[in-house]
Parts: sequence; C-alpha cells; structure tokens
Amino acid sequence: MTPSTKKNPIDLLFAVLTAVSSLSIILLIAGILVVLVFESSLAIHKFGVFKFIFTIDWDPVRKIFGAASTLYGTMVTTVLSMLIAIPVAVGIAVFITEIAPDFLKGPIGVTIELLAAIPSIIYGMWGLFTLAPIMANYIEPALQATLGKLPLFSILFKGTPMGIDLLTASVILSIMIIPFTASISRDAFNLTPEVVKESAYALGATKWEVVKNVVIPYSKLGVFGGCVLSMGRAIGETMAVAFVLGNNHQITSSLLNAAATITVSLANEFTEADSDIYLSSLFYLALVLFVLSFITLFIAKLFLIRAERKYSR
Amino acid sequence: MTHETKRKIEGFVALFLSTLAAFIGLFWLIFILGDVLINGIGALHLNFFLNDPTPAGVAGGGLRNAFVGQLMITAFATLIGVPIGVLGGTFLAEYARGKKLSQIISILSDIMVSVPSIIVGTFIYALMIKPFGHFSGWAGATALAIIMIPVVLRTTEDMLSLVPWTLREAAFALGAPYYKVIIQVVYRGAATGIFTGILLSIARVAGETAPLLFTSFNNNFFSMNMNGPMPSLTVSIFQYAMGPYDDWHAQAWAASLVITLFILLITIGGRLILKWRYKL
Repeated sequence: MTPSTKKNPIDLLFAVLTAVSSLSIILLIAGILVVLVFESSLAIHKFGVFKFIFTIDWDPVRKIFGAASTLYGTMVTTVLSMLIAIPVAVGIAVFITEIAPDFLKGPIGVTIELLAAIPSIIYGMWGLFTLAPIMANYIEPALQATLGKLPLFSILFKGTPMGIDLLTASVILSIMIIPFTASISRDAFNLTPEVVKESAYALGATKWEVVKNVVIPYSKLGVFGGCVLSMGRAIGETMAVAFVLGNNHQITSSLLNAAATITVSLANEFTEADSDIYLSSLFYLALVLFVLSFITLFIAKLFLIRAERKYSR
Repeated sequence: MTHETKRKIEGFVALFLSTLAAFIGLFWLIFILGDVLINGIGALHLNFFLNDPTPAGVAGGGLRNAFVGQLMITAFATLIGVPIGVLGGTFLAEYARGKKLSQIISILSDIMVSVPSIIVGTFIYALMIKPFGHFSGWAGATALAIIMIPVVLRTTEDMLSLVPWTLREAAFALGAPYYKVIIQVVYRGAATGIFTGILLSIARVAGETAPLLFTSFNNNFFSMNMNGPMPSLTVSIFQYAMGPYDDWHAQAWAASLVITLFILLITIGGRLILKWRYKL
C-alpha cells in the first residue's frame, strides 16, 4: 500500500517533482510532433500530404520537393536488411537456447549484443572503407554473374558495381539489427515451458522438430515483436547508411545504384538548405520519419506486451 | 530413404544452419572490431590527443579539441538527463506504481528509446539553433540529454521495482514519510543498478552522431564555449572519413578506435556489474 502524500509538504513536493520529470516523456513526444508540424507548415501548405508523399522530384533549384524517392530508399533498405537479418537472428536465438552448451550461452549472447553497442558511425565508416570495396570488387560482380542472369532478378542487379548503393547499405543495416531481433527472440524462446518441450521429446520429436513445432509457435508473438522493433530501428538508422548510400534522390530498380533515405537526406542536407521552403521540406521529411517510426515501434511494443501477458499466465 | 533418416537429416541441416548463423554474428563482430583496431592503432600516438587539427596537408595534427568537446557535451548531457530520468523513473516505480499512467509512460519511454536520434537533432535545431542563428554546444548537450532521459528512466524504474516492498513497509512503520523512504532506503537498495543504468546510457549517447550534426555542429579550433559550435569526436569522424585526405582517414580510424573501446568497456563493465549484483 502506498502511504498518503498529503500530510507532509516535502513529500508532496518530491512527488510533484518526480511526476513532472516522468511527464517530460509525454511532453517531449508532443513537443517533437508540434514543432515538426509547425516547422514544416510551409511545405505542408505548398505540397499537401499525398502530393508530397507521391512526388518523386527533389529539386532544390526549382524548389519542388517530394518524399517519394527517399521513402522508396527507406523502404528498400529496411525490407532488404530485414530479409537478410531475420533468418540469421532467429538462427542465433535457436543456437543460444537449444544448441550451445550451458557455459557458452551467456558469453555468446553478450557477444552478439555487443554488435548493438558499436556506434552507428563506426558501422558507417567501416562500411565506406572496408565493406564497400569488398562489395564492389567481389560480391556484386558475383551476384551479377549468377542471380543477375536470371530473367526476373536481372533488373535488380543492373549497372556498374560501385559499392555505394542500396545493397551495401542494406547489408550494414542487417548487421546492426541482428542483435535486437536475436536477443528478443532468445528471450521469447527461453520462456517456452520445459514441460511442453519435454512432452514433444517424449513423443520422439527431434531437436529441430521441437524448435519448429513447439518453441517457435509458442513464442511467435515475441519473435514477431522483435522483428517489428528492428524494423523501426532500420527505418531510423542514419549514420551507418549515410556513408554508403550516396544521397542520390532517385527511384531505381537496381540494388547496385546510389539512392537516398529520409535519414540520409536529413543528415546531408539540413545544414545546406538555402531557402525557407527547402528547410521546411526537410522538416516535413523528419515529420514523416517520426510518424512512420513511432507507429512501427508502437506496433512492436503492442506485440511484445501481448507476448509478455501470454507467457506470464 | 526412410522417413526417419529424412527427419534426422532435416534436423541436422537446420541445427547446422543455426550454428552457422551464430558464427556469422561473431564473424561480423570480429571483422568490424578487428578492422577498427588494425586501422586505428597506427595513428594513435600522443600528438593525436594533445594537438588540435592542423590545416589540411600539414602533418602532426590531432583531435584534442574534439576530445574536450565530446567530454563537455556528454558531461552536460548527463547533468541534464540523469536527474530527470532518475526522478521520472522514481515516479513510475513509487508514486504511480501499478497505475495506468505509469504503464503508459513506460511504454512511451520504450518507444522514445528507439525513435531515430536524427529526429531529436531536427527538434533541437528548430528550438535552439534556428531562433538564435548559430550552432551551440548547449544544443548538442540538450539533444543528447533527450536521448538519455528515457533510457535512464526505464532502468531506474526497473531497478526500483526490484527493491522488495517489505523494505519500504519497514521504514513506513518507523514513521518515515515516503520521500525519506525513497531517498534513504529505496535509492540505497537500488544504487548499483541505477548507477549501472546511468553508465550504460552514457555509453549509448557517447557514440551518437546524428543529433549533433546540426546542433553542436563542428569546430576545427579548440573551444570551451558552450554557446558556440563545439567539435565532437563523432562528428569529426564523419567529416574526416568523408574528406579526401589519407591523414584525415587515419585520424578518423584512430578516433573510432578510442570511442569504440570506451563504449565497449563501459557496456561490458556495466553488464558484469548487473550480473554480479542482480544475477540478471
């Protein structure tokens, strides 16, 4: 039972102080929304909502701005990085929970999570100086020679491999989101009751069948929440992709072309915006990004809460 | 092939792929850290810490200004962010414990932890840079503080919740008002955890670049004036790595090595403390 705070004035003061501090979170979120809407009002008036989202042009000279090209870049890098990251992350979670001997479980888990502690600027720099040349010289030509020869895939691998492109950015992003998905999946896997697993073993199931038919179905809410959370991370990642994407506002079918994401244009152009409408359009992009990532993260959180409730029953 | 061998082979392949996935994760970590170490260690001599940047092409430059700037920005961010975070977490775990409001703020903080940091940069730019017309260290510190608050708030809440309720009741029974119970009993019980949470949040913001790009900006000269543009390690890394000179690249690698080591040491240290104290 919490005691009443009304009797003691200092206690009341302390309670108010803590309350205000915690309300600062709500204030911040509301503040960010209001400020971004206010700052982008010029661009909202000029371009509207749908026109802004579907306009491909991003032309500071003619002062025509649209978000389509950057939204496209954000979408492609996010989806591609998730396609690469999720199988690896779930594999890591399976390894840690089911395969690794007990003394290795902790250390390997921590090591994978260290990937999340490396600052994104380090990923960016490593991507520019180390990964991009490897991609340009070995991996991308190899992809062109194999997958690029297939009829449907050929449009994905057109052009000269330069290493500064959507594919390299997605690979870096995938490395960055692996630890989030892996650690949440691991925690979800760990919550599967031993009894349920043992009953499956008693029926003669192999280890993989237990994972596939018992553990994964049981923990799918948590794993799914982890995937959506890492999607939110990928949407908003800035410095890691800023180095290797080229900030070229275009919609391109080839993964070997430079492109731009919302975050990359913000990072590159914010201090260079020379007209009010240019700056306002950048704020508009930031607003779109904020709404997009907030909704994604909210959905992820809902899944994780539902998962938590299910397991704690 | 019998049904049983098929199941066995399928299981073997799947488990092999999972093990492979774990090695892929380890491979990336070793690749990135090893690369930073190999490229960074060469430029890591005393001048790098003691000298300010020289004009491009002149040898012997260092990043003393960026080290000092980074320290100042991070220190002020900690001074702003930690009290708000700790007090806010206290409200959630104590005064509003179990209430709907506490849950909502908890969820919103979790979301704020993952909201793109560049958004915070644009927010602070609109509030603190645009009206005054110049970049400032204060703006950078505020931006980092905003990123710290939800992290500190959530760890504080979790750590305070771990303190047994009976401990509080014992203090209440002695007639202590709630604020005294919190400060003298609950904070003491959770001190290690809160301290570790603060350490981890410092590690989190020390590597942030995006929110500093257009708040504290950069400065090629030594400056301790928080009202003007402030250099920071991360923004210097960005500028140097994108620049055309080999010397700049070498220094960017060295700065990356320093900042990565700092963050990894804090992160590992913090985890060891949590493991030792809470068996988490």
